[in-house]
Amino acid sequence: MVRIKHRYLLVNILYPDTKSSHLRPASKPGDDVPYTVQFRRPSPDQVNGGLLMRLIRDGVVELFGDYGSGKIAGSLQVKYFSPATSTATIRVSREHYRLVWAALTFTTRLPRPVDQPCVIQVVRVSGTIRKAEEEAIRRAGLSIRRAEAAAKSSNVSGVATASATPLAVAEGDDDVDMFNGIEDRDEPGDVDDDDDG
Amino acid sequence: MFYDLNIPYSANDTHLPRTLAFVSELGYNVVALNHSIVGKLPAQITCAIPDPLHLKDLPPKLSIRRRVTLTLTESHQNARLAELAHAYDLLALRPIDERTLQLACSSLDCDIISLDLTQRLPFYFRFKMLSEAVKSGKRFELCYSQGVLGDSAARRNLIGNASQLIRASRGRGLIVSSEAKAAVGCRGPWDAINLAMIWGLPQEWGFEAMSKEPRGVVVTAQLRRTSYRGVIDVVYGGVKPAPVEKELQDAGAGKGKGRQQAANGQKRKAVEDVEGGAEARVEVAEKPISKREAKRRKHQARLSGVDQNGGTTKVKGDSLSTKGDGERRGRRAEGRGLATFGGSRMNDRLVSYRH
Repeated sequence: MVRIKHRYLLVNILYPDTKSSHLRPASKPGDDVPYTVQFRRPSPDQVNGGLLMRLIRDGVVELFGDYGSGKIAGSLQVKYFSPATSTATIRVSREHYRLVWAALTFTTRLPRPVDQPCVIQVVRVSGTIRKAEEEAIRRAGLSIRRAEAAAKSSNVSGVATASATPLAVAEGDDDVDMFNGIEDRDEPGDVDDDDDG
Repeated sequence: MFYDLNIPYSANDTHLPRTLAFVSELGYNVVALNHSIVGKLPAQITCAIPDPLHLKDLPPKLSIRRRVTLTLTESHQNARLAELAHAYDLLALRPIDERTLQLACSSLDCDIISLDLTQRLPFYFRFKMLSEAVKSGKRFELCYSQGVLGDSAARRNLIGNASQLIRASRGRGLIVSSEAKAAVGCRGPWDAINLAMIWGLPQEWGFEAMSKEPRGVVVTAQLRRTSYRGVIDVVYGGVKPAPVEKELQDAGAGKGKGRQQAANGQKRKAVEDVEGGAEARVEVAEKPISKREAKRRKHQARLSGVDQNGGTTKVKGDSLSTKGDGERRGRRAEGRGLATFGGSRMNDRLVSYRH
């Protein structure tokens, strides 16, 4: 029997606005937090997998109507959501993942109980959940390193901005840019060890 | 390198650092701040965007260009278009109807043609018109932010117009940018490429529309402003050498037609021209071996080289030393080719053993 092929979208939820940042470091006023930390702040507690599902379904219905909604309904699943890093892994069937991706792109606010402006960025499209997980771990580490670098440079900024900033950024920033594509190729060796759908 | 060539700029926008930081966070490397002009041009054309932006917390890796978008209402402004273009890094035109679009495509000199795709356009795009513009180096802009933030009608129009534009331009000469008035309107580069794909642009071309095409626009615009006739630019002019060869200059004064050196960012001048002419002459003096003759000599050199059992073949005289070099290099390459051939054969054998 032919296996049903899926795509796993690794998404980041970014919060571009300064308002209602409920988790603010107690020691500092909000403006001093570096931008990269502000954008990648933890999600509110009400955000969970169910809310993400609702968001995607509503988005797809809005953009593609009943047709698109029906096409993705069978395979859509939120596999993983971490409020701490605002990262989620979403599973869709391979034929229709672009519908879900477009719906995510057109999202501007989290739905009702949270109601907060957000930007959802797809950072990886993967054929297996393992690759998506590895990428999520790598990116989490990277964002921590960037935050540290930004904090360091903002501390130093009064004294020597010019020398501190490029150094701090140059450390581990280069491997985050996905210039050559963010999609995995289908490899014959890949085994999708998830067949409950 | 990803480009976003349309971030609206206004002087009293307090969110601009945040927007720029967000754009950088999303993965863009170059952005253009956009100043829009609607209606008449001001009497004194100056750049509305300060050159080093006086903002703190600018992302260090983001390079920022300045762009102006002029809404074309009537056509008698084009006399001052060049002046406007020189005040900014990029010049975009926004036609509002078919006549001004025709004008922007054919006669007016600009870098980007940016249509307002959120309105219902009362005309069709024609390939002939668009290809004429693309051929002369202009690019068409698709701005997605209005579709993301705007209401349903704006989104509908945007999708319709975008697919029309993609169809009529056959996917070539497009750039995708955001035109996001706030950080919420920006999307990651790959998200935008996916959107363009939904609208009918193949993925590779969507990728080019985020990277290669806008780079072409930026570089061409820069060349057009700083270089000599848009062809040669001096990146580092170096220090000016002391004038020593007085008599050589006098000798070559007749040669007007030489290479065009734009040293020190200036246009061609008589002195440089003279130097170029003298150089060209020296080259001519060394050059007169024909292709066939060169081939023949090479062949001879090879034959003699074989006789001497490889190694260094000193070929006749200094004037041919470059040829000797080339020949030796060629032989080395041959040797390498043989070696790799042998290697591959060995691999073949290995493979066959493994089987």
